[in-house]
Amino acid sequence: MKGFVAGCVLVGVVLALAAVSLVWLPYDPADTSGARLVPPGGAHLLGTDKLGRDLLTHLMIGARIALTAGAGSVLLGGVLGVAAGLAAGFATRWLDDALAAALDALIAFPTLLLAMLVVAVREASLGSAVLAIGLAMSAVVARLTRILVKRVLAQDYITAARTSGSSWPRVIVEHVLPNIWPTLLVNLALQFGLAVLAEASLSYLGLGPPPPNASWGRLLHEAQATVLTAPVGAIAPGILLVVLVVGVNLVADGLRDLAPGRSR
Amino acid sequence: MTRKFAGVAVALALALAACGSDPAAAPQKSPSSGTADATIEIGSQYEPQNLDNTGGGGQGVTEALNGNVYEGLFKLTDAGKVENLLAESQEVSDDGLTYTFKLRQGVKFHSGKALTSADVKHSIERVTAEDSQSARKSQLEVIKSVAAPDDRTVVVTLASRSISLVYNLSYVWIVNADAKDLATSEDGTGPYKLGVWKRGSTLSLEPFPGYWGPRPANGGVVFHYFTEATALNNALLTGAVDIVTSEQSPDALGQFTGNADYKVSEGHSTTKLLLAFNDRKAPFDKPLVRKAVSSAIDDAKLLESIWAGHGSLIGSMVPPTDPWYEDLTTIDPYDVELAKRQLAEAGYAKGFRFTLDTPNYDPHPTAATFIKSELAKVGITVDINVITADEWYSKVFKNHDFAATLQEHVNDRDVVWYGNPDFYWGYDNKQVTDWIKQAEQAKTAEEQTGLLKKANRQIAEDAASDWLYLYPQIVVASSKLSGYPVNGLNSQFSAYGIKKG
Repeated sequence: MKGFVAGCVLVGVVLALAAVSLVWLPYDPADTSGARLVPPGGAHLLGTDKLGRDLLTHLMIGARIALTAGAGSVLLGGVLGVAAGLAAGFATRWLDDALAAALDALIAFPTLLLAMLVVAVREASLGSAVLAIGLAMSAVVARLTRILVKRVLAQDYITAARTSGSSWPRVIVEHVLPNIWPTLLVNLALQFGLAVLAEASLSYLGLGPPPPNASWGRLLHEAQATVLTAPVGAIAPGILLVVLVVGVNLVADGLRDLAPGRSR
Repeated sequence: MTRKFAGVAVALALALAACGSDPAAAPQKSPSSGTADATIEIGSQYEPQNLDNTGGGGQGVTEALNGNVYEGLFKLTDAGKVENLLAESQEVSDDGLTYTFKLRQGVKFHSGKALTSADVKHSIERVTAEDSQSARKSQLEVIKSVAAPDDRTVVVTLASRSISLVYNLSYVWIVNADAKDLATSEDGTGPYKLGVWKRGSTLSLEPFPGYWGPRPANGGVVFHYFTEATALNNALLTGAVDIVTSEQSPDALGQFTGNADYKVSEGHSTTKLLLAFNDRKAPFDKPLVRKAVSSAIDDAKLLESIWAGHGSLIGSMVPPTDPWYEDLTTIDPYDVELAKRQLAEAGYAKGFRFTLDTPNYDPHPTAATFIKSELAKVGITVDINVITADEWYSKVFKNHDFAATLQEHVNDRDVVWYGNPDFYWGYDNKQVTDWIKQAEQAKTAEEQTGLLKKANRQIAEDAASDWLYLYPQIVVASSKLSGYPVNGLNSQFSAYGIKKG
């Protein structure tokens, strides 16, 4: 329970940064009037980058990008994954086998490579990153959903519901989904953290949203050359990434403990 | 093993010298000095794309192979002078249309074949061939024919006078006419032959025992390639490399200045960062729009951001090492109000929107970000499109499918490209084309210089491109090293004289 609260606080910090950035920013993100690599303190709370832009401003915008990337990927991966998982769970033997094989293949495919493919076909943007991460995630979610569905379908109460005349859609809504959502929710929360990290990696490699979008991954990349003279530029986005990902994981753990009928 | 190899090399070189055919090969270093065996570890951020400078090998191939593995009839020294190399003498006819070159004797290719005039003819024709991607192809197209009347004589006939022919020939590698697959292997006449090229990592050069001149001052060199400046500097700090050919991170210099173990040299660079417009297409077909954009960007601030006080502003395409240099920074000064007025006059009072094709490696994304924020102040919206070097070559350079782009131009004396309306930026001013043509046909260097100064001033007046700044050329080396080039003209890096210890 303590972990859950701590997680909420950590995620809350990032949420607050992102929310505030929508209505107020310390500086215009395109404002290059500052001096080069100003140390933290004074007019620039966290200092400036090479171009004289305010670091805090970019971190706040970066929080928005990180949360968007996480939420977008989870939404896409969740919807696709749960749908595919349900289909596989209910499918006839051969279709189930085919779907399972396809999912395994997709899981074996590195997310980065998938992202590069998506970027090559589309362009380097936040949308492409979310699409790639969401697709990769859908396979993981689908596999989990499939197993959960099969486990539920093997239960006696399903047979009972069917013999008493319930249709399959009704069984899904009344019996299957209520039994699998707690596990799914925990898993999706974990996937959120992974998606945030994946987006930062893609941006670090230049495959994320193009400049001047201040993804934390891009900020890390840009600060790399000046890490010895202006370390805050690299440390600050790094810390925020840790805060968000640890926070999300703690929340996921908490959710698992709170879920009804938890396994542990 | 190295010692044994060096011994063989010296023996062969001595044997050559004993023939007495070449006085240059006479003085030999004693192999017992030790330092001549040392391998020089060179750190660079410019790995070749392939090993052929007529096949899009990029600046990395010039850096590693020019003068080291391949030699031209002439060479460009680190001081910017053109000297005889494989050519021993030259004669020019009175009308300036026929050049007769006598080749140096006793020159062998790495494969063992002796150099003949047929190889020279083949090498020049390789550069002017249809599919050649050589940077000097258009200038060498003035060559009407190349003849090889005997093994030691090459006769070049021109369609019109060309005062820079000899200079341009210093770019032409003399390759064995029978050599195959030059993208991955080599057959040159240089002091080194190719050892092993491990793509993505290293390229090693070993002394060529049959070299016509004296043995190199070292026992071979290895180029270590890094994609990232910090990693490269760390390699220098840990001793994994002895020298960095061209420092790309000013923030790392603090580790080396004032440290007795390292020497930092700042030489002259010829590399310019350009915001190149597509002068064919609206809105950049209007000089006034280009001038407005040039005036809206604070070049000094950009240079300070990226290079922290190093480098310089030149205001045009000509770097100070070219004979026709003039400081033209006042022609399109940084002046936001002026830019706004010019935009209004050109019919773009409300600004416009364009896509900036930006190579994905430093410093381009940073420069693009800066340009975007500067142009926003005059109402111009920039969409940054990040592309790879390959995409840049096909999309921008070949197909001219762009509005504006960022690119670094490394060569010296390359203002002449503004005289070619088919070049990727499509600048087409008849007057400038004529001046550049006349300069090429000039009888004296003064006449050439005068005409190119006029051309350079005119392209600045027309803001043919926006010349953002001239790079600094910073070489950082272990203080044990000596004899290395510091100017990096055209990004060549002669390893021949580098000594360790």
